[in-house]
Amino acid sequence: MNLIDSLAAVFLLLAILSVASGRVISLVRLFSLQSVVLGLIAAAVAAMTDAEHIYVVAALTIVLKGVVMPWGLRYVIDKIGVKKDVEPIVPLPASLLICAVLTVLSFYIVQPFVTGHEVLGTITKNCLPISLAVVFIGFFMMIARKKALTQVIGLLLMENGLFLAAYAVAYGMPLVVELGVFFDILVAALIMGVLAFRINRTFDSVDTTILRRLHD
Amino acid sequence: MLLPDQMLFAALITISLAGAMLAVLLDRRRACLTVPYAAAALSSAIALILSLSVLLGLGDFTLALPTYISRLGAFSLHIDRLSAFFLLVASIVTMCVSIYSMGYLREYRGRYSMGRMGFLFNIFVLSLYMVLTAGNAVLFLVAWEVMSVSSYLLVMYEWRREDSVSSGLLYLVMTHLGTALISTAFVLMWTQTGSFDFSSFAGIREMETTSGTMRSAMFLLLLIGFGTKAGLVPMHVWLPKAHPAAPTNMSALMSAVMVKTAVFMMIRCCFGFLGVTEVWWGLLVLLIASISALVGVLYAVAETDIKRILAYSTVENMGIIFIGLGAAMVFQASAAGDPMANPYLGDIAALALVASLFHVMSHAMFKSLLFMGAGAVVGASHTRNIEEMGGLGRKMRYTGVLFFIGALSISAIPPLNGFVGEWMMFQSLLLSQTISDPMVNILIPAAVAALALAGAIAAACFVRLYGAVFLARPRSEHAEAAKEAPRPMLAGMYVLGALCVLTGVLATLIIPVVDSVSASMLGTSIASRMVNGLTLITPAGDFSYMSPLAVAVMFLLLLPLVYLVANRLGGSQPTVREDTWDCGTPLGPRNEYSATAHSQPLTRLFGQTVRVKVEVAETPSSSPLVPARMSFRREVEPVFERYLYDPVSRAAISLSKRISVIQMGSIQAYLAYIFVTLLALLVVFR
Repeated sequence: MNLIDSLAAVFLLLAILSVASGRVISLVRLFSLQSVVLGLIAAAVAAMTDAEHIYVVAALTIVLKGVVMPWGLRYVIDKIGVKKDVEPIVPLPASLLICAVLTVLSFYIVQPFVTGHEVLGTITKNCLPISLAVVFIGFFMMIARKKALTQVIGLLLMENGLFLAAYAVAYGMPLVVELGVFFDILVAALIMGVLAFRINRTFDSVDTTILRRLHD
Repeated sequence: MLLPDQMLFAALITISLAGAMLAVLLDRRRACLTVPYAAAALSSAIALILSLSVLLGLGDFTLALPTYISRLGAFSLHIDRLSAFFLLVASIVTMCVSIYSMGYLREYRGRYSMGRMGFLFNIFVLSLYMVLTAGNAVLFLVAWEVMSVSSYLLVMYEWRREDSVSSGLLYLVMTHLGTALISTAFVLMWTQTGSFDFSSFAGIREMETTSGTMRSAMFLLLLIGFGTKAGLVPMHVWLPKAHPAAPTNMSALMSAVMVKTAVFMMIRCCFGFLGVTEVWWGLLVLLIASISALVGVLYAVAETDIKRILAYSTVENMGIIFIGLGAAMVFQASAAGDPMANPYLGDIAALALVASLFHVMSHAMFKSLLFMGAGAVVGASHTRNIEEMGGLGRKMRYTGVLFFIGALSISAIPPLNGFVGEWMMFQSLLLSQTISDPMVNILIPAAVAALALAGAIAAACFVRLYGAVFLARPRSEHAEAAKEAPRPMLAGMYVLGALCVLTGVLATLIIPVVDSVSASMLGTSIASRMVNGLTLITPAGDFSYMSPLAVAVMFLLLLPLVYLVANRLGGSQPTVREDTWDCGTPLGPRNEYSATAHSQPLTRLFGQTVRVKVEVAETPSSSPLVPARMSFRREVEPVFERYLYDPVSRAAISLSKRISVIQMGSIQAYLAYIFVTLLALLVVFR
């Protein structure tokens, strides 16, 4: 139990760290690390519930999200020569404060679900708010950073948060569903990579604030 | 297995669609001037046969269409007496207009696409017939939309002219506003019955669960919705712009027939579906209709564009028709409320409805006749401004005579059909003195006064129109060079001109048929008490009587008599042709009494309603008495646009400008909106 809780804490910490990081490369690295942690949590859940198919999912998570996707992202970064800075719209210290608020808020929101329900295990009690917090942080990252790539990573962070929620509440989804979701993410990451490519070619930058010119 | 009449109806649809397709295929060929309109005339002939078979008592007629979505109800075309009557009117007018189009469209050849006109014309006619026969609300709305959109595209037919495009847009907006309200009303009805079939809507009348507020809400939605199509004030603003902007054959169809679909549906919905229970419904209709009649005719008098005069006169005549409808509603509701108080009320309601329906028929005939005449005149003189016409009566003899018949009819001169309808309407309103409701006692005499005033001004308006266009000397070179209209155009007008006279003179033969239509809605038949041989009698006691045929015979006998007597008494004077005294300055066409001058006393009298602005600018010269140049500009202020529509549209635009600030085009901002909304919702509803 404690293992899962502490892993979840690390998971949240990594999300907050990625908001605090000022470089795109370290963002990718943090995402990869977070995905590995997610895989470990999945493995722990599998060990606890004796559900063998979750091992498969855990392995897939570590391989796909921890290795393949970061590699793909890095490839895109090299290919289009993204500058190193993340170019925040909201400055980093303020972002961190907002993340803290979002975390507290998610604990506050989840509270009515977890109190008074004897059936819910401790995993749910601690992991559900953390997963929600990570979803919020991912969303916030999409809003507060300019580059298309940071938005891709923000989305992937949200995705990780959702996965954690699935483990925490339902102890994993059926294998078919998990596989489907993996496939989805892969395709999404691919498409977004291509889009970032296109945006770069059209505007000579992956700064999405330039897309503002498209309106009217 | 289809019955013969069902096969006829299927043939009607096929022929219309084939005409539309052929028009597209033939586009640039010569045949595109005739084939599509022959198809339209043929399908109208079939519609005529079908409607006559129902009106002459061969029973209602139903054609089921394939239905794919069962929740929308059964799609079917249904002709009962009411739709048969409107179908009859529509098909007669459409047939004449189709024949007229064959000649009229020659002047468009090479300038605008013939194929488009033929296609849209046939689609419009078909949708018109579908609107009049639809037996299901969804099917009706589809047909109604097709009718609106095809007529919109026809208003925009001369797309190189800016005013066509802007009028078309206004029309599109207004008609969709109306459709939205109508759809809402139908959905409300659906909540009551659970079906979209008109046959089930008819059950609302007896339904106890439908509250009075609900009925009133539906009624108001329908009144505004259909009132927009009918051009009732203040929803009329599109009509005087859109009807003249269309090519004249379409103007004739829109003004004569399309607006009548609104009357048709008002009668169907009020008497057929909702059941008239509240007196104030009728009073509201009466009020709006009286205002429409007056406003329409006053603007018609002030206008100098021949087609706009006719369009404004359509607003007036729709007002007259709705006065009859409103009166019928008032009487019916009063009769239902207290049947003992006045045993005649049911009869008077029937009389008012018969008058209204009769005027629907007359107006369709004379207005399409007048529009067709206007089209011929505009085609010959290349202007729509009546100040630049004049003297056309000698150049276009037949058009002039036919236009004169139309003008007499619209001015309600006996024994033409316009007179018969208005006579019956006056009788029904004058017979109402026994209702004790004070509002009724105020509004009905007011409606009588409005009707009388509108009739008088309409007569003045058409004296002016006929005089300015056909009499005196030509006021422009084009008018000087005008030639008679081609034969197909005249053919279409002959039929309608003859019908205007015949339906007036032989009204006693037609009224029983009209009465059977109104009886199918009201349940009271008055024909047996109204028609006595060739004389019309008011049904409630010995109030008054009139025989159009006798009037006609008297006219025929008296006119030569007057001529003879005048000749005998006055003696035959030798005719001397000399110039009038002209103060030494040769008088030309510019010195004629102009149409604007003719309407000046009336526009001055009603200056509060019709605001005419006249600007005279002088360029001074060395002499203080003789200016170097004088310019004159006259403009009728668009009161409704300026004081009702402009503030609304300005408010809408400024509001949307204020809101558009949030649409900044930044992805991050849009994401932030979603995020904040999400957080707020989560916190509030946690």
